[in-house]
Amino acid sequence: MNRRKIDVVFSSILIIASLVILSSDKLVEGGVETDLGSMLLPRIVAVFIIIFSAMIGVPSLLNLIRKTPLRGLEQIDTEGFLGIGIYIAILAAYWLALPHLGFLVATPFAMFGVAILLEGRNWPVMAAVSLVIPLVVDYGSSIFLHVFLPPWTLS
Amino acid sequence: MIEILNNFFNGLGAVLAIGPIAGIIAGVCVGIFFGAIPGISAIMAIAIILPLTFYVDPVIGITMLLAVYKAGIYGGSISAILINTPGAAASFLTAQDGHALTKAGKAGKALGMALYASVTGEALATLVLIFVAAPISIISLQAGPIEKVFLLIFAFTVVGSMTGESISRGILSCCIGMLFAMVGMSSITGATRFSFGVPELMSGFTFLPLLIGVLVMPEVIDAIKKRKTPHYDLILEKSPNPDDNRVTWKEYRSVFGTMLKSTGIGTFIGALPGLGSSAAAFLAYGEAKRTSRKPETFGKGSLHGIAAAESANNAVCGSSMIPMLTLSIPGDDVTALLMGAFLIHGITPGPTIFYEHTDVIYAIFAGFLITDIFLLIIARAGFSFWTKVASIQRYYIFPCVTVFAIAGAFTTNQDLYDVLILICFTVFGYGMRLIGLNPAAFIIGFILTPLLEQNLDQAVAIVGKDYGMILASPFAWIFTALSAFSVFSAMRMKKKEKKKVAAPSAPERSAS
Repeated sequence: MNRRKIDVVFSSILIIASLVILSSDKLVEGGVETDLGSMLLPRIVAVFIIIFSAMIGVPSLLNLIRKTPLRGLEQIDTEGFLGIGIYIAILAAYWLALPHLGFLVATPFAMFGVAILLEGRNWPVMAAVSLVIPLVVDYGSSIFLHVFLPPWTLS
Repeated sequence: MIEILNNFFNGLGAVLAIGPIAGIIAGVCVGIFFGAIPGISAIMAIAIILPLTFYVDPVIGITMLLAVYKAGIYGGSISAILINTPGAAASFLTAQDGHALTKAGKAGKALGMALYASVTGEALATLVLIFVAAPISIISLQAGPIEKVFLLIFAFTVVGSMTGESISRGILSCCIGMLFAMVGMSSITGATRFSFGVPELMSGFTFLPLLIGVLVMPEVIDAIKKRKTPHYDLILEKSPNPDDNRVTWKEYRSVFGTMLKSTGIGTFIGALPGLGSSAAAFLAYGEAKRTSRKPETFGKGSLHGIAAAESANNAVCGSSMIPMLTLSIPGDDVTALLMGAFLIHGITPGPTIFYEHTDVIYAIFAGFLITDIFLLIIARAGFSFWTKVASIQRYYIFPCVTVFAIAGAFTTNQDLYDVLILICFTVFGYGMRLIGLNPAAFIIGFILTPLLEQNLDQAVAIVGKDYGMILASPFAWIFTALSAFSVFSAMRMKKKEKKKVAAPSAPERSAS
């Protein structure tokens, strides 16, 4: 993957967001009046973001137009990206399932899924780890930290 | 000086109790374990352990975290020496000489030298921390809000310009962190900024999930990306010659000068924000090689090489606390995380820490030194054990890390919204790495912005409408000059690096 394209898109997004911060008064609600106001620092930071985004985006854009060969760090290796997508999907599904299935039920599935994703094939040990670790974490957090992880709420 | 010693011995008394000692032992074990696994750094171990320390005494919690940090840095050398895969970037040079010794059947000697150099470097740097931090804090106590504003601007500039892939990417990372810190209710005006009507955003982003998401979880993602690379078991083969399995007193004495010099370099580099342990290791290694009688042995199994790299990168552990504790400036990602830990425990790092929390801070200092003793004992006693433990397959480790991270994020406020923050910042943190933005600069920007805003408000209240008064302080000019100098020297450094990278390609071109 060509990082220059990402640089251009990312810089453009940051510049647009910074321009919105500089020009809009609707980004702040309430608060007391002070000498500086609530938006002074965000606006100063926005100016710097525009400057440094331009310093990244403009050379990348020029290099894209000139079609200069990619240097080492400008080439993003996309091998393994499918696995990353699956991992994020597991995390999202786990987050959605947690309030309903509870920590003790949802976690073994998430752990087992991540283990398979990491090319784990030692099923009995993986299953045992996926069952024991949530139990230990749940017990430890409730007894020692007095934090109660989400319980089963479906029934 | 006597007062420092007095406070230190009081702190020693406080830390020599079952709780802190148990915390230190647990921290050392966790640190070596995580540090030794290739692909897991000390910072991941600290972030995972952090939620466990919320509910214990600050002395126990923070000494435990510092033990994880120190042991984690040492642990990185185990995989570096045995399989030439550094657990941390700072162990890269240790890998060169250490693995050469392993191939020669002297793995025990290499591991021993790395351990002794680590402990020596850490202990000496801790002594510097103990005796230097309090006097610096007396000077920094005299700084008012105006001076602090310029000091913080200096910190942003140094961290931004030194840590990134390029100066613009480093400072941009810092600016983005600053912008995220301003989401939610302003502590000065009470106004809600950038919440877009979302009630959860009104209190801003919770620190711990954001931190774990940006610093820790991308390492898990990286392991998933590289999941097809084969797993190497760490094996410690013992030589029939006992001298090959240990460091003799004569050998230790011969490298002690190198250790001292490298510790000095590591301590100095660590005290400067933004450079970190890798820079210290490279500088110390280069210096040791330059002054060595046998420079040709470096990279081929030199004990001096291991001693230089390890003592320098471990010396950074102690000295990197100096700017954090005296000026509230974390120099790198680990100290940023530790600063977060201090804040969570209700201790605000800064010059007043030595007066408001004297007992706690000196107990932590004493804990630092005791950690070195336990690191020496625990690591030395179980070289074979740690190598076996560090060989655990990644498909057992990373699912556990994922669960610990999610449980840790949840425990902060007992809110599933924090888990969502963790997931979002995991993606964001990995994205940052892909495009060359620096997570450490981002976190430092995030942590220091509330301090900047508070001091800026106070500074304006002091000068009233006469804004020119802000520049009347000599510190303002000194820190502005230092900021400009740091950007200039970073530019020079990057130029030199570029030239170095370009240099080998010239002969290659002529050859082709």
